[in-house]
Amino acid sequence: MQNKVKSQRFIWIDIMLTLIALIVMGYFYYGVRAVFLCGVCAAASLAAEIVSLRLMKRRFTADDLTCISDALILSLMLPAVMDYTIAAIACVFAVTVKNIFGGRKNIIFSPAAAGYVFLLTSWKSSVLMFTEPHVHTGAFEKAAELVSSASHSFNTTGRMNYTDFEILMGNVSGPTGAVSILLLAVAAIVLIFRRDISFGAFLGTLMGTAMLSVTVPMCSSLSDSVKYTFSTNMVLFAAVYIVSDKRIAPERNYFSFFYGMFISLFSYILIITTAAENAIVIASILFTPVSLGFKNLERYISRLEAEESAVKGEVEQ
Amino acid sequence: MTNKKRPLLEGLISGNTVLSGLMVISPVIVCGNTVMNALALMYAFSAITFITVMIGSFIPKRLPYGMKIVIYAVIASIIYIPVKAAAEEFFPDIIPRIGIYFMLVAVNSLITVQTEAKFYRMTRGKMTASLILHILGFDAVMLIIAAVRELLAYGTFCGRIVDADILISGLGAPFGGFILLGIFCGIYRGIGNAMRHDDDVSGGDGECF
Amino acid sequence: MFLISEFVVLLTTNLILTKALGTSTLFIAAGSRKNLLWIAITITAFTTVGSAGAYLINGLLPENFTDLRLLLYVLIIGVLYFALLSVLYFTDGKSFGTTRKYVHVSAFNCAVMGTLFTISENADADTSLNNIVSFIIRGAEAGTGFILSAFILMAAFKILNSKEVPAAFRGFPAMLVYLGIISMAMYALV
Repeated sequence: MQNKVKSQRFIWIDIMLTLIALIVMGYFYYGVRAVFLCGVCAAASLAAEIVSLRLMKRRFTADDLTCISDALILSLMLPAVMDYTIAAIACVFAVTVKNIFGGRKNIIFSPAAAGYVFLLTSWKSSVLMFTEPHVHTGAFEKAAELVSSASHSFNTTGRMNYTDFEILMGNVSGPTGAVSILLLAVAAIVLIFRRDISFGAFLGTLMGTAMLSVTVPMCSSLSDSVKYTFSTNMVLFAAVYIVSDKRIAPERNYFSFFYGMFISLFSYILIITTAAENAIVIASILFTPVSLGFKNLERYISRLEAEESAVKGEVEQ
Repeated sequence: MTNKKRPLLEGLISGNTVLSGLMVISPVIVCGNTVMNALALMYAFSAITFITVMIGSFIPKRLPYGMKIVIYAVIASIIYIPVKAAAEEFFPDIIPRIGIYFMLVAVNSLITVQTEAKFYRMTRGKMTASLILHILGFDAVMLIIAAVRELLAYGTFCGRIVDADILISGLGAPFGGFILLGIFCGIYRGIGNAMRHDDDVSGGDGECF
Repeated sequence: MFLISEFVVLLTTNLILTKALGTSTLFIAAGSRKNLLWIAITITAFTTVGSAGAYLINGLLPENFTDLRLLLYVLIIGVLYFALLSVLYFTDGKSFGTTRKYVHVSAFNCAVMGTLFTISENADADTSLNNIVSFIIRGAEAGTGFILSAFILMAAFKILNSKEVPAAFRGFPAMLVYLGIISMAMYALV
């Protein structure tokens, strides 16, 4: 039990480290505003967590600091110039919903995904408009000029007017933390090797996306289709921090593989038919029942295995 | 609270139609996003339910259950016609916005389920009082939820603009109704559990919930 | 790809998740596989056959008498209700006592009545939908949508009723919030 608690804390620490790296990148491109936004989200989440745990008559422990990682994930999906109040409301919503379902021990939806979709439905224009990279907005200033994201232009035109280097380094307009492809790839490798995220879900997401980007390409060149599909619409970011979240994805790799694959297939079709931006986050919410179904199946299989081994043990005796 | 008053007040507080019975929740979730919509639905629900249940109480008890339910639903759909005509006078703009929910309120669970399960097992006087309180219970919840949603989603109250900095437009949508109603149900239950606990500790003569 | 598009349509037009019709019945249906099976079958039967009846009624009803629609739809559902009860009684009298409650729950609820009105409303707005085949298909779609919603809720039923959920929210309140979040995701698609 102690080992399990320790390993969960190490997972959280690893994820926090990768998120901090993304925040540093966000500071590089968008200035102190990006860091402030992350701070506001973290503070709002922490306050909401403390209040809701008090209402639930539970003690606040170190493990409840996972609310901060969820808040940082949410803040990295937003424009750096997002209104602080709106971002804080989304974080409070995410924490409240998480705790209504029983808190960190009974997570059904990714809190960050739920918060993001809440923002998307209530403040769509604020969530999907960004400043250009290297445009530093002051912590309490209003953004001067907003543009739509690189994902939007790719979804609508099938083209990306950025070099491969710019895409890798995240020098494109988009969510603060979801565009630094190189950093995300490094984070994914680190987290997979340290078993902090579900490998099956991550692989399923990647393979599903790759498969459809080849068979139903979004642009004339196959290689461009694959390249741009992975670097837009938060595919890589969501694959690492939302779909492969061990709290939500099925435990067994073959179930989580299909879970990830279903999400990627569904979101790709959404993008290609409706040009819906960041559809993978929406898909991750919609496929929560699939994950829960797989988890129910896992529990059933585990029970059968336990009964079988008990019977075998009795026979051997 | 004496035990005699408890069954009567059940519809308003402890056995609230919406929060406890989870009945007639579709209009609350979808149309309960402005106070004016809520008032129109409250009027429809109250008038149709009260008149239907009172008329239905004269239907012979000997008839089979299924037949009685159909008769109650038929009575409600007949009562709906004059009620809608009057509503078009009082709420001319609201009726088209509410759409099918005005009609669905006419065949609600209080008429099709609770009549046989509860109301017609009481004496006429108690039935009338209990019915009124059940209706008031629905009306209260409808109004409160609609007021909160209108304020937070549109920054208005009864159509009048209120000074609100941040508007959460999603709360005006059906999903906002689902989430807010779920939270209200939880708060209602939490208060009820707390009061029940206090009663148990203090050795009260009856439960409030 | 066609299947996924159809799945998206089934989700976005789902009467429960977009219009909250039949939510109470859904909670009963999601409680157990037996409940789900029987309620799903009866609701689909009511919506499909009822839609055909609604089409016939709409065709016969003069334009100035649309307020009588509710009464006539109630009569159709009443006839179907008796017919279904009779079929159940004469085919399997032994389990009639168990199965009839599903018919009682399914008959006069918002999912069925709402389906008839929604289909009629859509047909009034778009005359290409005003034919019996379209009505029956939409009715069957509504029933399928109910089954889909029931599966969505059933997947989370145990977890929403577990001890980890705060007592005040355990059960129906948590289910409402859960459905709200799924509905929110669908709203984001539109």
